[in-house]
This record gives sequence, C-alpha cells and structure tokens, in this order.
Amino acid sequence: MDLLLKRFQSLLFFMTVGFIAGCSGPDGSIDPNDVGSTEDTVSNQEGSNGSGDEDSDETVYVELPPIEVREGDGLPLELPPNLVWLTNNEDPEFASPDAIRGGMYRTWMLSFPLTLRLVGPDSNGAFAGVVRANQFGPVSYHPQTGNPIPVLATHWAFGEDGRSIFYRLNPDAKWSDGVPVTADDFVFAVQFLRSEQIVGPWYNNYYTERIRDVKKYDTHIYGVQGADAKPQEEMHYYYGLGPRPQHFHRMSDNWVTEYNWKPDPTTGPYHIGTIEKGKYVDLERTQNWWADDLRYMRNRFNPETIRYRVIRDENSAWQHFVKGEIDTFDLTIPEYWHEKAKHEVFEKGYVAKYWFYNQLPLGSTGIYLNTSDPLLSDKNIRLGLAHSINFQRVIDTILRGDYERLETFQLGFGPYDNKSIQPRKFDLRKAGEYFEAAGFASRDNTGIRTKTNDNGSTTRLSFRVTYGNPLHTPRLVVIQEEAKKAGLELQLHLLDSATSFKQMLEKKHQLAWMGWASSGVAPRYWEHFHSVNANVTQTNNITNHANPAMDELIMQFRASADRDERIALAHQLEQIVHDSAVVIPRTKVPFTRQGAWRWLELPEWLGTRHSTALFNSQPSSQMYSGGGLFWINEQKKEEILEAKRDDQQMDKLVVVDESYRN
Amino acid sequence: MLDPQTVKQWKRFKSIKRGYWSALILAVLLGLSLVAELLVNSRALIVSYEGTWHFPTYGGVIPGSKFGLEYDYETNYRELQQKFKDADEGNWVLMPLVPYNAFENDLRTDKFPPYPPSLESKHYLGTDSTGRDIVARLMYGFRIAMGFALVLLVCSYAAGILVGCAMGYWGGAFDLLFQRLIEIWNTIPFLYVIMIVASVVVPSFWTLVTVMVIFGWTTMTWNMRTSTYKEKAREYVNAARALGAGNSRVIGIHILPNTISVIVTFIPFSIASGVASLTALDYLGFGLPPPTPSWGELLSQGTDNLESLWIVSSVGLSIVAVLLMVTYIGEAIREAFDPKKFTYYE
Repeated sequence: MDLLLKRFQSLLFFMTVGFIAGCSGPDGSIDPNDVGSTEDTVSNQEGSNGSGDEDSDETVYVELPPIEVREGDGLPLELPPNLVWLTNNEDPEFASPDAIRGGMYRTWMLSFPLTLRLVGPDSNGAFAGVVRANQFGPVSYHPQTGNPIPVLATHWAFGEDGRSIFYRLNPDAKWSDGVPVTADDFVFAVQFLRSEQIVGPWYNNYYTERIRDVKKYDTHIYGVQGADAKPQEEMHYYYGLGPRPQHFHRMSDNWVTEYNWKPDPTTGPYHIGTIEKGKYVDLERTQNWWADDLRYMRNRFNPETIRYRVIRDENSAWQHFVKGEIDTFDLTIPEYWHEKAKHEVFEKGYVAKYWFYNQLPLGSTGIYLNTSDPLLSDKNIRLGLAHSINFQRVIDTILRGDYERLETFQLGFGPYDNKSIQPRKFDLRKAGEYFEAAGFASRDNTGIRTKTNDNGSTTRLSFRVTYGNPLHTPRLVVIQEEAKKAGLELQLHLLDSATSFKQMLEKKHQLAWMGWASSGVAPRYWEHFHSVNANVTQTNNITNHANPAMDELIMQFRASADRDERIALAHQLEQIVHDSAVVIPRTKVPFTRQGAWRWLELPEWLGTRHSTALFNSQPSSQMYSGGGLFWINEQKKEEILEAKRDDQQMDKLVVVDESYRN
Repeated sequence: MLDPQTVKQWKRFKSIKRGYWSALILAVLLGLSLVAELLVNSRALIVSYEGTWHFPTYGGVIPGSKFGLEYDYETNYRELQQKFKDADEGNWVLMPLVPYNAFENDLRTDKFPPYPPSLESKHYLGTDSTGRDIVARLMYGFRIAMGFALVLLVCSYAAGILVGCAMGYWGGAFDLLFQRLIEIWNTIPFLYVIMIVASVVVPSFWTLVTVMVIFGWTTMTWNMRTSTYKEKAREYVNAARALGAGNSRVIGIHILPNTISVIVTFIPFSIASGVASLTALDYLGFGLPPPTPSWGELLSQGTDNLESLWIVSSVGLSIVAVLLMVTYIGEAIREAFDPKKFTYYE
C-alpha cells in the first residue's frame, strides 16, 4: 500500500487534534477527534454527483498516456533472470484462533465525508483513512517483528540498481467486485495518479518525481523503480505502491464529480456498503474474501459490518457510548480515563478499560524556537529557555502523570532512536546561569529579567508563545507561571489552529508550541533542519535552523542505502538537534487507551507492538498490518445487556498492559 | 442645590426597593473589586520581617531573598507565613482574606485539579481545572467585565449620541443618508467579524472594545434622533436660536439635557449587554486571551467539567446575580425617569 503517501497526509500537522495519542495513524482507525478537512455540512447529493449519468452524452472519456520514463531511468525490458525471489511465511501469527466471525461493530465520526473518492479535492478527510486502509499494497510489515509480509504479492525481489523492486502477485487476489488484481492495475495506478483528471497536484508530482517507472512483465509480475536507492528493508515502504482498479475508472475531465460518490472496489476485507448521507456509512465484509485463509490474515477482521455513525459532538458521542450504542471510545485523554470513566457502566463491569503501551513513532511535540529572532539566535538564551520550561510539573499535575517527557525531537523509530540523549530539565540555577551569560542579569519590578543594551535601553526577557489549540491552554498557564520563577515572561498567543500554523510556516513566531505527526520507518531531518528550508516561508524548518555541517550529514542520510550507516547518521543528527537547543521536546504518549463494552473480545495478548489502537477495525495501523484482531461475542452481549437491565454488578475490568513499555 | 426634578427622580428611584438595593450592592461590589488586591491576592498585606514592615500589595515584585528565602523570584507569602510561624522569631505575615491571585496554579502532588471548595486550603469556591482559585478568578474577572462594559458604554454612547443628535437636528438629506448608512451597517454580522478578527490577531481589551464600538454605536442613534427631532420643534429651542445661539450651543446646552432621561434609562441595559457579550465571547473562545481571568472562560470550563459542579455553579450564579441586579436598576431608573408616571398612577 502507499505507505509513504499516507505518511505525507498525516504530516499535515495535528495541532487541531490536540493530543498526539488522539491522533490515529493515517491509515489506522478513523480518528473522531480529527476534524481535519471535512466540514459539517454534507454536500447536496444532486448537486455533487448528478453530472455522472445525465451528462454522459457530453463526457469525453480519454485513454491515459503510457508511463513516461526519463533518460537515465527505466526498468529493464525483460525480467532480469538472476532475481532472488523472497517471501516470508515464518513469522508468528498474531491473530487469535478463538475469534468469532460476525456481528456489527459500531463506531462514530464527527462529520460525514465530503467525498468517497480516494484522491482529488476534499479526499483527505478523516474518513479517507478508513477507506485507504482497505486498499492493500503488495507487501505490508509484520506488526511484531517488523519484517515484510506478503499481502497482494507472494514474492518480491530487488533489482541491482538498488532502487527497483519486483513483485509476483498472488493469482487469487481479487477486487471486492470479483475482478482479479493484475499487474495492469499497478501500471494503471501510476498512470492514474500522474493524470490531470484527478485534480491532485501532490499525487501528480509525487508519482512523477519519486516513482520513476512501473513495468508489467506478466499478468502477475511487475516492477517498480523509485528515484533513489533505499535500504532493502525500507524499500516496500517507499516504493511499494498499491494498485488502482483499472476496470473501474473511466477517465474524463469530469472524473472528479463523476466518481465523487462511487467508492472504488477494495482489495482489503471491507468495502463501502450502505450509505445514509449525513448519517452513517457501513463498511461490509467482502464475501469470500480472497485473503481469508492467508497466514497473516486469518482470524482477523471479524465483524461482518462496521458502522461509522455521524455524531457531531464528542460529548454526545460519549453519551451514546455509555448507553451502549457505540462499542468503544478512546480514553487517551487523562480526563476521560480518570474522570469520565468513573461512570457506572465501568463501575458495574459492563465496560472495560484498556491501557496498552505500544512502540510507534511518537509525534514530535515541543516548543520550536525561531532562531531568526535576535534574542533566540543566542544559544545561551535557548539553553536558558530549555531549563525554564517545567514540563514535568504539567505532566505530574494536569496530565496526571500519564504522559511522559519526550526525550528527543524524533523518537519511536527503533534502532534509529538516539537513546543517549537526556532532555533538559527545569532547573532555575542552570537557567539563571545561561540567562546571565546572555546578559540578562537583573530583574525589573515585575520580576522579569532585563538586559541593558549598549545604547542604554533595556530589553525584557519576554517571548510570545504561538499555539493553536485551546485545549492546551491549561498546560501553558502552568508553564507560564513556572517560567516567571526563572525571570522569563511568556505571553500566550492563542490563534485559530490554521492561522497559527500559517504564522509558523511564515516564520513569524518566536516560540511555536506545536507538534508534527510522525510515522514511517525512519526519522526525517531535511524538511525540519536543512538550511535550504531556513528563512523561507512555507517550509517545515520553523526553527530557521541552518548549520552547514548538519546539512552535509542530512544529505548523506538521505542518499544512503545502507541501513547501519543511516542509523549512525540519525544518531549524530539527533545529537546536533539536541545540542543546538532549537527544540524543547515536550511530552510523549507511548500508549493507546480505550474503553470497550465487554462483548468485544481481544486475543490473550491484547494487541501487537505496533498497535495504534486495540479496537482497530482496519487492516493496518501506521505501516504495519496489525489491525482487526478483536471480535464480537453475541452471546456475551445478551448476557451483559440483561445484567444491565437487571442492574447487576459484574466484575470490574481494568487492564494495563506494559509488555511493550520502553 | 440640586434641581428639584432630579431630587424627585432620586426619591422615586429610592422608593423602588429592588432597584435601590441592587444599585447599592453593585456599587459596593464594584468598589471592592477596585481594591481587589487587598482582599484577594497572593501577596501579603503586611510582612513584618526583622522589625521592618513591608507592604507588598502594590508595587514591584519582592524577591524571596529579601525575606531570607533561597530564591530570587517573587516571594511565596503563604509559605513565608507558615515559615515565620514555625520559626517563631517575631516575624509575621498578614495575608488577605483569600490568599491567592487569579493566575497562580495551586497544584498539589497527591490530587489532581479541579479541587473542591475547602476552608482549610482557603479555596472558598474551589479551584478551576488548572488549580486557580475561583474566588480570585471571579473577582478579577468581574472587574475586567465591568470595566469593559463601562468603557464600551462611554465610547459607543459618545458616537451614538453625536450622530443621533446631528441626524435629528439637521434632518433632511443628512438624516436620510445616515439612516440608510446605519441600516446597511447594521446588516454586517458582528459575531463573524469578531471571529475573523480573533482568528487573525490575538484580541486585546482595546481591540475588542474597538470592534464592539464600531458595531454597537448605531443602536443609540435612533433614540437620540427621535428625541432631538421632538425637542428641536419646541419653543425654547426657537427662543435660544432667536437669541443668536449657534448649533453647538443649541444642541449641547439646550437639547441634550432635555434628552438625558432617554440616555440614562438605557445605561443599565447597555452595561448588562456589555458584560454578557464579553462573557459570551470568552465562552466561545473569541474573547480576551488566556490567562486573563474571565467569567466566560470559567463558564466554559464549568460546562466541560460538569462533574466538578462548584465551577459551573459559582460562575453561573454570579452571572445571573449581576445581570439581574443590573436589570433591576434599569427598571427602577426607567420608572424614576418616566414623565408619564403621575399621569398613569396618580
């Protein structure tokens, strides 16, 4: 599946979401908190999809041009004879054989999707993640071992140039409408994503620049060539693009409106079934799904139907949940886990609470210091700031000790993590030393440090903190009060989330309180720290960090196809980020928490190392194929509902699993 | 000597008990809120340290080192009080009634905020979800809201009275033109403008006042226009004119004082609406920036934390009480100034 693509979509900043753990993986379960790009109104049915059939006389359908290959690129005309075909049928299964098939899993979303297309305008709403998760790629990653596992392809082989990869498809693989998946669908995918008709400039660019060629060798064998050499372990992630149903799409200039409400057939377990516009979307399990008996797919995706109901307010969704009209609810936020979950359905044991630690890339949350600011260009000030911000107090009080301090800028990428770095702690003595070194030796009558400039004027040690999420105000007011002790004034600058992000991209901030979503196989440095992105607007280098030595390492890191070398470089880069003190890492949420009615059952081992959520009805979470492990026990459902009617007490269930706690 | 008419109106106002008492209470509250620093504050009223008296309430920050503490940031006077008491060396600290300010987070390690009301910790109405004292938030929030309403009142009345008088006095094409302009102006949805402003800049006290004056001055023009029309036709105006009085003198000295009852009766209702608007904007998150103490922000915390009933109930009751009192005063003033009163009731 298009793993990298999905990562890009999640990159779009999650300040609106507010808490990292609330933000699901881009291809994981739908995140009801993610208001994302969807709006509250549902487009008028007649208005938006009418043109398809009525206007078909006027629509001119076109053939897409063959894939254009640039000079120096291109796959061999014949399949290379010396390929070593690899597969993986040895890793352990992670689904439970006790699983029971059937039933309806009921969940919710904040707004109805604006379209069911997977590309084109408005296609990046929260619901898109659900649909995309059901479009398989040739290979996915094992949620425990992290090794590649066969999905649409049974075997894969790497080309000699270090940037091509060949796949042999499973001849049984079928679309949900029964049409077999062939190599043509993969060639079509690139033609389709490069075409103007989809009105998706990002896709056009990505599939031209990053994917250089796709060639069919046989009905079931094809090859992909990417732009740069990558380590083999990570190649599927970058270049393992998924198919698009060639038989389904007829391209025309009208494609965007014609396909607005025509969902693609899927290769995954579910396809879009009944839709009640503005009310709900049902995902139905594909009958005789081709992958039902595959080693890594069996006993998974047990509910027959998944209903996504539109509930436009989180509080009322909670009411639906405690009434038993929704099966699960996210409890990551401390108020929910500790306060709201004292409701009698929990106390009486009808609903269980699960707290499950996982090992996923953690969002890069923090305070980003704009080094173009005259004061912040002084490293002593930056170090002083890092020692004046009391995250630990926020964690211990407002966050109830649930979240943890994030140690480094990017974390959660296994061997890429630099574990030797310790975050700078709140320390008034150290902060004082650094501020004094920067010339801020005295305090004015408000208790804020000041510096006397050469021309006799004084500068106060005061900074604007730009942020976009009102839910974070409580955390910031605590930090603000604590910073006063160090003689530092922080002015809270709460803006609308889109405006605040825009200010940051335009580098108009002093301190940016924000977080980047992260996923994928390796940390990224170029967009955040390379000097070409510094001091220009609309780039992700919001610290305006520019360091020639780091630039060189970043380019080496990007170009290297040797995993060990990349790991060593990543450690070095993370150390430079730490030493430069341009980011003050904030908090991490290395777990998922959910409440679930007790008729939902899980395997003994609850979830996997890489589970984004335990009750994840979708095949993949982040880049790993680990979802769909739970099932619905209808017999138990009756028992629980009966107990609830009779107001009987059952055993309370709170599960805290720390197997994958670091 | 007071004008006998005014004396009569004051007597009538006093005779309406509900309004009179409301006015008294509100005046006392307003007075108290002006010296809130002496009543609700984390700074001590008096510190007696080694024979010298310090009065930290007003003025600059006194670092802890001044009182023999180990830090350079502002003294924590509650801790200092305890310390002096324990040491028993003749030093002492006198704290205000509520020893918290509106900004500090009184967080404990054994329990998570919001904390319920408690006499022992001196959080008489409990704390909000970041451990800030609710009495302090209410008190300082009240001062800001009332200040806001009064500034708003003065500014929008000044503009409204000026334009309204001019419209009524000159009439004709000038009147017609302004009527249409105001009608068009009134169709601009004020709340959207505030939302747009709040999304682009962080609204400050004065930006909010400006925006609200720009959209709020028009209401007063209609009443002033009508009254001026009416007064303009009276003989005394003609007499003044005949004596050679200029336009500004006629308006300022003759017409305006005679329309004062119209203005005065509207004032309490304008204050109520000023307080309510600021509270509503803060509640919606388009008001004053955090961490400004604000009733609206407290109300929104209260509705988010319905389990902690003390938040929503204290701020809810306060809002109801203040708006009710202002409305009672308004009623009383209206009746006191009603020229038809005797025709109707006697």
